[in-house]
This record gives sequence, structure tokens and C-alpha cells, in this order.
Amino acid sequence: MHSYYPEDLLAHAVNRYKADLRDMRFLMFEQFNLQDLLGKAPFGDWDQENIEMVISEIYKFATSVLGPLNQIGDEHGCKVVDGSVITPEGFKDAWAKLYEAGWRTVAVSPEFGGMGSPATIGILTDELLSGANTAFNMYPGLAMGAAEVVGHFGSDRQKKLFVQRMLDGRWGGTMCLTEPHAGSDVGASTTTAKKNEDGTYSIKGTKIYISGGDHDLSFDDNIVHLVLARIDGAVAGTKGLSLFIVPKRRVDDDGKNLRDNDVRVVSIEHKMGINGSATCVLSFGEDDECLGELIGEVEHHGMRQMFKMMNFARIGVGIQGLAVASSAYLNALEYARDRKQGSSVKDWKDPSAPRVPIIEHPNIRKDLLEMKAKVEGIRALIVKLSTHQDRETALAGKDDASAAYHKGQINLLTPLVKAYSSDEGFEICAKAIQVYGGAGYLRDHPVEQYCRDAKIFSIYEGTNAIQSLDLVGRKLGQAGGANTQAFLGDIQKFISANKDHELFADAIKQLQKAHEAVGGTVMLFLGWFQSGFMDRIPLVSERFLKMMSELAIGWLLLEQAVLAKEKLADVSDTHPDHAFYTGKIHGAIYFAKNILPTVVGTAKVISLADTSPNEIPDAAFGI
Amino acid sequence: MFDAEPFPEEEESEARLKILVPIKRVADPENANKVKVSADGTQVTSEGLEWAINPFDEWSLEAALRLTENRAEKKRTGEIIIVGIGPNDDGMMRTLRSALAKGAERGILVEADDASLDSSVVAKILAKIAEKESPDVVFLGKQTADGDSNVAGTITAEHLGWPLVNYATQITVADGGFTIKRELDTGVQTVSVKTPCVLTSSDRILHPSSVKNGITPDDFAYPESDHARTAPLRDIMKAKSKPFETITLDSLGIEAETTVEYTQFELPPARSGETTYVESVDELVQKLHGDAKVI
Repeated sequence: MHSYYPEDLLAHAVNRYKADLRDMRFLMFEQFNLQDLLGKAPFGDWDQENIEMVISEIYKFATSVLGPLNQIGDEHGCKVVDGSVITPEGFKDAWAKLYEAGWRTVAVSPEFGGMGSPATIGILTDELLSGANTAFNMYPGLAMGAAEVVGHFGSDRQKKLFVQRMLDGRWGGTMCLTEPHAGSDVGASTTTAKKNEDGTYSIKGTKIYISGGDHDLSFDDNIVHLVLARIDGAVAGTKGLSLFIVPKRRVDDDGKNLRDNDVRVVSIEHKMGINGSATCVLSFGEDDECLGELIGEVEHHGMRQMFKMMNFARIGVGIQGLAVASSAYLNALEYARDRKQGSSVKDWKDPSAPRVPIIEHPNIRKDLLEMKAKVEGIRALIVKLSTHQDRETALAGKDDASAAYHKGQINLLTPLVKAYSSDEGFEICAKAIQVYGGAGYLRDHPVEQYCRDAKIFSIYEGTNAIQSLDLVGRKLGQAGGANTQAFLGDIQKFISANKDHELFADAIKQLQKAHEAVGGTVMLFLGWFQSGFMDRIPLVSERFLKMMSELAIGWLLLEQAVLAKEKLADVSDTHPDHAFYTGKIHGAIYFAKNILPTVVGTAKVISLADTSPNEIPDAAFGI
Repeated sequence: MFDAEPFPEEEESEARLKILVPIKRVADPENANKVKVSADGTQVTSEGLEWAINPFDEWSLEAALRLTENRAEKKRTGEIIIVGIGPNDDGMMRTLRSALAKGAERGILVEADDASLDSSVVAKILAKIAEKESPDVVFLGKQTADGDSNVAGTITAEHLGWPLVNYATQITVADGGFTIKRELDTGVQTVSVKTPCVLTSSDRILHPSSVKNGITPDDFAYPESDHARTAPLRDIMKAKSKPFETITLDSLGIEAETTVEYTQFELPPARSGETTYVESVDELVQKLHGDAKVI
């Protein structure tokens, strides 16, 4: 086969990905007690031992197969040759190995050939795969997201024909929403669907920014696009949109490729990061030969159906932010322990004092501890969300009230996970570069790629501004505000139980203040809504999302610290867990005393209700 | 050589290779900095270590798996019995189960304290189990990554009175045994050996065409990799239900009497981390050879 890449590219590829499996174990089995749900329906096949084995095997896979391809994908990117996308060298082989090993289907329902693990295992799997190679993992990740939509809303025939093939690597999958004039404003979509006599629809239109819109990875060379389009005569806006299954190649009921379905790759984008992921402009029905079928055979439900995938994808983006930030931190930590520069601040008067590793410098220590606390705090927030999913799954049909509580928390936490993790993930990668100094700006080290890859996370799957409006405008008031009250109530319970803690009383005082600040801001918003000050909300909603995320993370980190303090009593100081638990204590105290006070400050800023961005005339912004 | 064509049922069962693969769990070499020496210096403390399969055993397991499968058709054609010796704890069980997940048929754990084991005791245990199980091959890693003694295989063969081939890098199934290439300092030696026998191997066994078992087509190439295979998800889930037996030293009639006494352990001296810059290759060679005496 002709190779599009220089020889020996793969031979020189090295892995730089690192992950903290100890922290994952801590979250699963010490903080969130996942073991309570194992060994019985619906997770009867799972126990602590096979979970740990799965996680450690996936880590091996991530570091030995995906990690070495990360820089190759970045530097060589994707190409369009004869109208088809060629992915970077090694991706095809990695795809084969991924599906042979079965890592994509850990948490997939057995109905579709998966192993039905708790969602938490799927989340941590995703962290390991995304962290090792964000760009690569988007192809199988999107196929999986699209398969979930078909599995949830599709007709029996559609489920049987499409879902398993999209989950086992035979076919890829995408979501096609965005158009040149319909980005965040998806209701402005102009792609049309015209009903044919046989019940199929002829699709016509152009979609842009389609991740994995074409590739050469799937075993049976087909990709199932989920396309939002407006059926002729449907109303304008999002309510008139329907969702269609549009395969790259038409298939018969046995899944055999029949013929080309008139889906064309117009071009691929040249981007700042995730260069191994092909971001396509796709044109449907240029020759009027593009056929689609309506998902679940219902019209005008496209947005509701697509939101199923959006929620899945939003959590997925939160995981991406965490995944690269975690590896950026661990790489920076390794570098800081090794790199010697300057003498200890304690010897500042002595020019002949020995050079010390930069980890001994207080400003570097402060950066590292902040990165550590945020990375572990974000991971705790994401796993908190996924254990709500698992508890909801376990309780559904048995205890509907409890299941509803968990469902409510999932809804509330999803925008926090997506936006906070992606914003902070990028900042953490930038801070990692700072720890390296000039070396971090070079391609010799992985952190500059992490930083470039991470920027898109705050933009796609609904920008973080949209996440914050979803939070303030929709989620806070959902179920009559019950979800928000339950969230604040959970934190208050922790505060009351631990406010006199011998070690953490000061830190918990900061948590209490942040709790009051968030609660007070929620009441302030309620007043604004009642008084019709809607235009103020977008000016501060992102700040509020950050406040609420940091409150949640402060709580979860302090919960970890209380636990760690108890566990330390049983661990000798030579045991590696001694350092682990000690780290938990310091991380939580740092976060409580350096980050939580800013939540109180932000509440103050919001309460000033400054509307100058709304008042300044456009012309007055500048030339 | 076996016929490359599929065997009729009864012949196939005759041809099934049965291999005993001892597996040791060792302090994870990736996290070797966590290894600590006890205060009195007489032992390495195992407290809080991350355990991993001894890498040399991982390679011998890979070789044994290649000998007992049709890789092209992804079918197992022989039997592998995993043997672990040591405490019945999470680290041990996870290590053994992951070997079962990779394809081994069943497992045996011989319960024992780490401190009561040395190569001599281990060899006695393995010989006893080999007598009981009558495998065609006992296949060990050439050494362990912790003790580095490099003798358990040799002593086991001695106890059994079986032929021994150490450091196998290429194995071809031949009539009644194997043709084996061994890589030595002086070159490559080719030997023939009849079963039953004891084999040990090194990392070269990971080469894509290092094992020809006459069942997997000879032109089949295993993936180019520095690593042995990993267990797929489905097989990890199945590993739990594979036959597994836990036995005691008593039941084998073995007393854990060590012949080697460890008197002193020391951690390697911490590196200074000082960097020395050199101007030329000659100077580098002088520094490495003359001053540091490492080449």
C-alpha cells in the first residue's frame, strides 16, 4: 500500500501520556463507594478486581498504542486524497486494536454487545483514551455517541441495523448540526429533507465542523451521519428540525454496502489543535442522490433527540479537559523534579549555594499544587456525576424518588463538568508550559500540544457561554429549583458534620462562605428573572458557573481530605499511600484557602450588577 | 512438524500441548522507586507496593500462548496452567487473573510467605506440581525482575530430570519436541529438545515470527511490539470463572526451607543529577570509560 507518510515515523514515536490510577481507585472505592453497586443487577458481572484489571489494561493500551501516535497525529494531521480523508499514520492500526480489545464497549449495554459496566468505568476509560490521544479518540467517541442516539430513539429495525455496527468498529458515526450560518444558533439550519414515496427522505445541504466527517478507519468503510434537517413545510427555528440517519454508503437490511450515498467531503479545516481529528465540510445531496431515514420515524423531534447525544458529548468534553490537564500536570511535575535551576530561596544570600530542582522553588510549588488540586477536583466532580448516573441506573424502577434525585443532579452538574473542566483544563495546560519555562513552549515536550488541543473544548458541543446560560436559565430552576436545593443541601450537610474538624475547621469555614455566596447569588438571579432583567444574566452567567463549580470542587476535595486524614492513621509513613493521602490533605486546604475565597469575591462582583457591556455603543468599542 | 491443515478431532486432542507457566508478581518495575528496605536492612519491604507481573514471566506466558493457539483463527489449541507462589492477596490474585484473561486455561496458587521463598523452594514446588500435572513444558521467564537469581528454571529441570533450554528466542514445534534458537553472547545456537522439558525465554520472544507451532500459519506475523499481548475486555470478564485452585505447601509435602540467606540490602545511591558537558566524542568516551568506568 502506498504510504502518505515518511518512513519510520512510527519507529520513533514515543508515549508521553501519564495518568494517576491511584486517584481513580480512590474515587471509585474510597470516596464514592462504587463497590456498593457491584455484584448485583444491573452490574452483576462486575467487581473491584475486574474493574481494576480493566483500568490497568486500558492504561497499558493508552500508553503503548495511542500515546505514541499523539504527536504524529498533531504534526502530520489528516489529508484529503481523491475526495476521501486519510487519517494519520498508525490510526488505522490503533482503531483495529481498540475494537479487538473491546475498550470502547466497557460501559455499553449488553443489548448492543457491550459489557454493561457502571458509567463510572466508561468515564475513566474515556479519560485514559482521550488523554493519550485526544484527536484519535474522537472518531470512536463520536461513533459511540451517535450509536446511543439511534439505540435510544431508533425503530427496532434501525437499532438492529445500525447500533452494534457503530459500536464494534465496523462503521463510524458523526453528528451533523452546524452550518455556515447556523452555529450556536442551530435553529437557523437550512439543510432540507424531502419525503419520497418509499418513506425515505432526500437530504440536501452543507454541514461544517463535522468531526470525523470522513475517515479511513472503520472496518466496513461506512460512516453513519446523524443529520439535522428541516422537512419541507416544517416551521422555522429549532422546533421544525428533524434528525436523519444518513449513511456515507447506502446499505441493505443485512448491512451490506450498496452504493455511494452522495455525501461529499468538500474540504477539511486546518486547525490550532486536535490535528489528527478530521474536521470536515460535508455536502449532502449535491447530485440529489442523498437518502436519509428519519430516526424513530417521528418528524420534528430532531433537537430533543440530538440533545441526548449533546449531553453525552458534553460530559465527554469535560473528560477531554480533565484528561489532557491531568497529563500536563503530571508531565510538569516530573520536569520540575528533574530540572535544576537556581538555588534554594533559603540560600538567597549565598551565590555558591547548590542548584536545586525547580520543585523546591515556592512559586513552582504553588503552581503545581494548584494544578494538582484542580485536576483532582475536576476528576472528583466528573466521577461524582457518573456515580449519580450509576445510582440512578441501579435505583430506576425500585426507588423512583431517589432515582429522580440522582437524575436531577446529573442535569445540574452536566454544564459544570463541560464548561469548568474545559476552561480550567486549558488554563492548567498553559500553567504546565509555564512550569517548564521556555522548554514548555517547544515541541520537544508534550505540554504545548496539550494546550493547543485543549482550546477547542471550551468552544465545541455548545460554547461555555451557552453552558452557563443552560445552567442559570434552565438547570437552576429545573424541578422548581429542587435539584439546586438538593445540591446545596448535600454540601450544607457536609459542612455541619465537619465544621469543628480538628484539622479542616478553617478550610471548611471558607467552604461555608462560598456556599452562602452561591446560595445568595441564586436568590439574586431569581430577583432579576422576576424583575425582567434578562439582559444582565449573560454578563455574569459564566462567572456564576465558575463559582458553583468551585463550590462543588471545594466540597469534594474537603470530603476527600477528611477521608484521607482518617486513613492516614492506619498507614505507616513509608507506605506510598502515606504520600497520597497527605497530598489529598494539602490539595484540599490549598483549594479552600486560595480558590474558595474568590467565589465570595465573584458573588460581590455579580451583585454590583454592572451592565456597562450592554450600555457601551458599538462604535465606542474602538476603531 | 504438525500439519498446517486443521486436525481431525481425536488427533487434535493428542497434539494439544500442555504448558505450565509459573508467574511471579514483583514490585512494578515502572514504579521501582517505591521499593523500600526495612530498617534493619535484612529485607525489602513489600508494603504498599504496586504489583505487576514479572516482565520475564510475561514474555514466557506470551511464548506459551503462541505455542498453544491458532492465532489466525483466534482459537486456543492447547492448555496453559498458571502457577503462582506467594501470599493470597489482591496483588497476587490480580496478577494471576490477568494471565488467565490473556488466555491461560486454569490457575493454581501455592500459598506461601514471600520471606520463606527462594529459588530452591520455588523449584521444589514447581517440580512437585509438574509431577502432578505432567505438562509437556514448564516455561519460565529466564529470571525475575526483583531477585534476578536466574536459577529457578535450572533447578526445576534438575529436580524433574528433564532437559532444559534457557534463553529461547525462537521456538519451532518439531516432531516430539522443539527446535529452539538461543541467543548467547557468542552467537545464536540452535538446539533440538524433546518434551517434556523446561524452557526459559527472554524478550526476543516478542518478535513477530519467533514462534512457529505448526497450527498458526507459518507466514502469520504477530504485531511488532515491545509488549506482550494485553487481555481483551471480554476475556477479562471471563477470567473470573476459569478454574482456579488454591493449595498449601503442606499439601505438596514441601517445607519452606530456604538455602539462601539475605544478610543486607541497600538501595542504590541517589544520583547527584549533576550535568557534565563534553566537547567531543573522544572526551565522552574518556569520561565513560576512564572516569565513570561504565563502558
